[in-house]
Amino acid sequence: MSSMLQPQIILLKEGTDTSQGKPQLVSNINACMAVADVVRTTLGPRGMDKLIHDEKGNTTISNDGATIMKLLDIVHPAAKILVDIAKSQDSEVGDGTTTVVLFAGEFLKEAKPFIEDGVHPQNLIRSYRTASQLAIEKIKELAVSIAGKSLEEKKSLLGKCAATTLSSKLIGGEKEFFASMVVDAVIAIGTDDRLNMIGIKKVPGGNMRDSFLVNGVAFKKTFSYAGFEQQPKKFVNPKILLLNIELELKSEKENAEIRLSDPLQYQSIVDAEWNIIYDKLDKCYFADRDIFCAGRVTEEDLQRVAAATGGTVQTSVNNVIDEVLGYCEVFEERQVGNERFNIFSGCPSGQTATIVLRGGADQFIEEAERSLHDAIMIVRRALKNSTVVAGGGAIDMEISRYLRQHARTIAGKSQLFINSYAKALEVIPRQLCDNAGFDATDVLNKLRQKHALPSGEGAPYGVDINTGGIADSFANFVWEPAVVKINAINAATEAACLVLSVDETVKNPKSESAQGEAAASAMGGRGRGGAGFRGRGRGMRRR
Amino acid sequence: MALAFDEFGRPFIILKEQEQMTRLRGLDAQKANISAGKAVARILRTSLGPKGMDKMLQSPDGDVTITNDGATILEQMDVDNQIAKLMVELSRSQDYEIGDGTTGVVVMAGALLEQAEKLLERGIHPIRIAEGYEMASRIAFEHLENVAHKYEFDATNIEPLVQTCMTTLSSKIVNRCKRSLAEIAVKAVLAVADLERKDVNLDLIKVEGKVGGKLEDTELIYGIVVDKDMSHPQMPKQIEDAKIAILTCPFEPPKPKTKHKVDIDTVEKFQTLRQQEQKYFDDMVQQCKDVGATLVICQWGFDDEANHLLMHRNLPAVRWVGGVELELIAIATGGRIVPRFQELTPEKLGKAGLVREKAFGTTKDRMIYIEHCANSKAVTIFIRGGNKMILEETKRSLHDALCVARNLIRNNSIVYGGGSAEISCSIAVEAAADKYPGVEQYAIRAFADALDAIPMALAENSGLQPIETLSAVKAQQIKENNHYCGIDCNDIGTNDMREQDVFETLIGKQQQIMLATQVVKMILKIDDVISSSDY
Repeated sequence: MSSMLQPQIILLKEGTDTSQGKPQLVSNINACMAVADVVRTTLGPRGMDKLIHDEKGNTTISNDGATIMKLLDIVHPAAKILVDIAKSQDSEVGDGTTTVVLFAGEFLKEAKPFIEDGVHPQNLIRSYRTASQLAIEKIKELAVSIAGKSLEEKKSLLGKCAATTLSSKLIGGEKEFFASMVVDAVIAIGTDDRLNMIGIKKVPGGNMRDSFLVNGVAFKKTFSYAGFEQQPKKFVNPKILLLNIELELKSEKENAEIRLSDPLQYQSIVDAEWNIIYDKLDKCYFADRDIFCAGRVTEEDLQRVAAATGGTVQTSVNNVIDEVLGYCEVFEERQVGNERFNIFSGCPSGQTATIVLRGGADQFIEEAERSLHDAIMIVRRALKNSTVVAGGGAIDMEISRYLRQHARTIAGKSQLFINSYAKALEVIPRQLCDNAGFDATDVLNKLRQKHALPSGEGAPYGVDINTGGIADSFANFVWEPAVVKINAINAATEAACLVLSVDETVKNPKSESAQGEAAASAMGGRGRGGAGFRGRGRGMRRR
Repeated sequence: MALAFDEFGRPFIILKEQEQMTRLRGLDAQKANISAGKAVARILRTSLGPKGMDKMLQSPDGDVTITNDGATILEQMDVDNQIAKLMVELSRSQDYEIGDGTTGVVVMAGALLEQAEKLLERGIHPIRIAEGYEMASRIAFEHLENVAHKYEFDATNIEPLVQTCMTTLSSKIVNRCKRSLAEIAVKAVLAVADLERKDVNLDLIKVEGKVGGKLEDTELIYGIVVDKDMSHPQMPKQIEDAKIAILTCPFEPPKPKTKHKVDIDTVEKFQTLRQQEQKYFDDMVQQCKDVGATLVICQWGFDDEANHLLMHRNLPAVRWVGGVELELIAIATGGRIVPRFQELTPEKLGKAGLVREKAFGTTKDRMIYIEHCANSKAVTIFIRGGNKMILEETKRSLHDALCVARNLIRNNSIVYGGGSAEISCSIAVEAAADKYPGVEQYAIRAFADALDAIPMALAENSGLQPIETLSAVKAQQIKENNHYCGIDCNDIGTNDMREQDVFETLIGKQQQIMLATQVVKMILKIDDVISSSDY
């Protein structure tokens, strides 16, 4: 009789939301597409900026994909993957963060009809992987190397890459100016992986063209004591002593206590304390002795000064010898906007550079800094890998053509999938046109025709953003490092495959925040999700 | 925020607290931003020029500020809108960089936004408008250089500097004594300027004010004024050829920083301690006396005992002088700041020709003047005025004048004021516009129209017919090929700004155009505003 009342078997805790199967895969795709739509309009030289308020009232105006994604505070688990790939693109190559999100969104969009038609996701995943490998090989083949050129030539080539990156940013109007600045800075620090040796200082006021590069170190005038204004403000060939202890009267460590039985000895303690500080001063400097001092310099700046001047940071004033002192040609205190800056220039080792950015508003400078960061990363990448490809959507069109051609040689479903992958790649030129207000279909057709020429001479043709037609991007110096594209395609394909491979979501409502983080790190950490991946596809059914 | 839908058509959430987010995108966002920017510009428009009006601002705690200075107005308005904040920052950065023209730059940006709105309505892509503006701003920038004049001056011939400062001051409430204030500002800047390096550290000019007296009593003191009095009322009020000991240690028995304890178990020991202490005071005063000091200025206080001793030994002293003032005194008198009595030597004393304590009016306020100093690299401007608001406004006006003088020392090029430079740029930009193919041409022409906004506002504020006046002046400029025709705000009878002696610095004007263009570009580039609904 108990068989009549079959008890329901409860596997999961009450309130757990599970959803599975095809419909949930489709809704994951929808979520990713919605996110990609947000950053869509920021692509390219005619891309627009986003203004984002957060709850704390901070405002950011940005064009940088990674920054926007970070600030959007996305909670949807599948959509979070897109944030992660934007971040990883940012840390890996520094630029192309919008591109990578767009690619991932587009791959998923192309996959959606197939999923709805009942294609097994693994089939799609396999074809996408093959396609991405083919695409990357093709990029490598098409890339032009700039290695082995003379320094002058290299500089101008790197400048071109930086200018392409900057053209989509707020400071695009001055891209040549900033591009050469970035190239000089990157070449100055050499090939080492020491990005923190390029300092970017922000000073509100002035216009962009007032920004300048210091071949050395610059920092804002720091804390100063009475008597500071009497110190000389300019030194030629100074010797620099770097200390990270304070030159102050200091009570002896901890709770030392002195007991006096004879009041007459009082003076002797006072003298003893003063002697300590005099000892310190004798060995170095003070306002009274016509030596410039800057107190409370930040650790970062101190390190940079040390690297620039060849000095060593000292933790004690005893035993200061000549070798630990740094040198530079000129030291000067200069007025920059409303601030006074201490500037060391003409440093012997020349391993540091500081860019002092000027601009009309704080948000403006913030955005300029982000843009310069992108440009610096690009130049560093290009310097290391030294291969470039044509920008302006040219490379994307060429890969797309190549993949279509390749697809024709394949029998079976895979042909369709690779074809749709190829179509997804066209999103870059299409979006470039859309953002610029051109007729995308028209331009795309022109491009397809050009790229389909059998002679292959059409390969470097991309969107001409000024006229709304097509132009040879390579000849117009719209260049980007090959590694940006390779990384973008790789990351976007991985992300798309990851979303496609999820078929069930289990959501535990009670410890939502903790799980959310854990899931996010698992998604980011794994890179490629195998069949065993238990993601939390959807399930945020609040309504 | 765009919602995504799942297989059953139910919306689901992608962003955190998505329901509370508001989002404005596309043309709507641009229009909203533009109208915010324009609103700010409209507030400042009436403050422009010599006949501009002042604004009265009351802070949350009831302090009233009356000012004509654009940067100050915006700062105090405490705006909330993000785009309006950008305009505030715009005016602030003009203030930081140039110090003057803070109203003009906002009016200019407002005019640019207004023009951009029209173009947007015609369906021109915002970035192309921004690019056109950028091209136009470069044309204007170069044109300004062409119409600019080099102005020669040196330490003896300060007339040109004074004239330029007067132009700045003429729009302020203090314009009744603009001549004397301008002279004060120029002399002060020249006193502290490093003409060789073209560097002026405005920190060395101390601006001190005291309510009472008239504006005309404002004076420049080649030395320092300290708002303190002698530590003992019976000390001499005037010291000639003073030798000043500048101390950063108190007139007290020294205290070691390490914890200490003196064990006293007998009466004798206590006596010795007392004597020790007394001896300290004695020694200190003696040490000052020994090196020949006739005045002691101390950063800290002294014990009554020390005060008495000083009085007794006829050594006047000032106590509780702030660190910055101490520094200025040291610079002015050529003395050294001494951290310890044992360090005192005759060379470290500062020298001043005259130190006097001065009382004001019927109040008991006293100030100490340190004048005729050995080295006049630090100066004080001492402002008098009827009430606190006037005083504060005078301080701000003088700050503007000081900045103008400093800018001229950095770069001695000037352009003519009264809107003449803008009109001339407008003509040049208009003419250049036809050479550019593409949509940008429209934006460049719009830029030329926007440049007219400043002379227009000037004319309006002066009670003239704006359009008639502007068109008359513009026609005159073109007909006579004379770049110096501007709006005759003061009804002098000539439009030639050379005769009116109305000058502005070239870098100030260039900066205005560049900054305004930059900010407008930034505003135009935003097509998406995502915010929590609290804002």
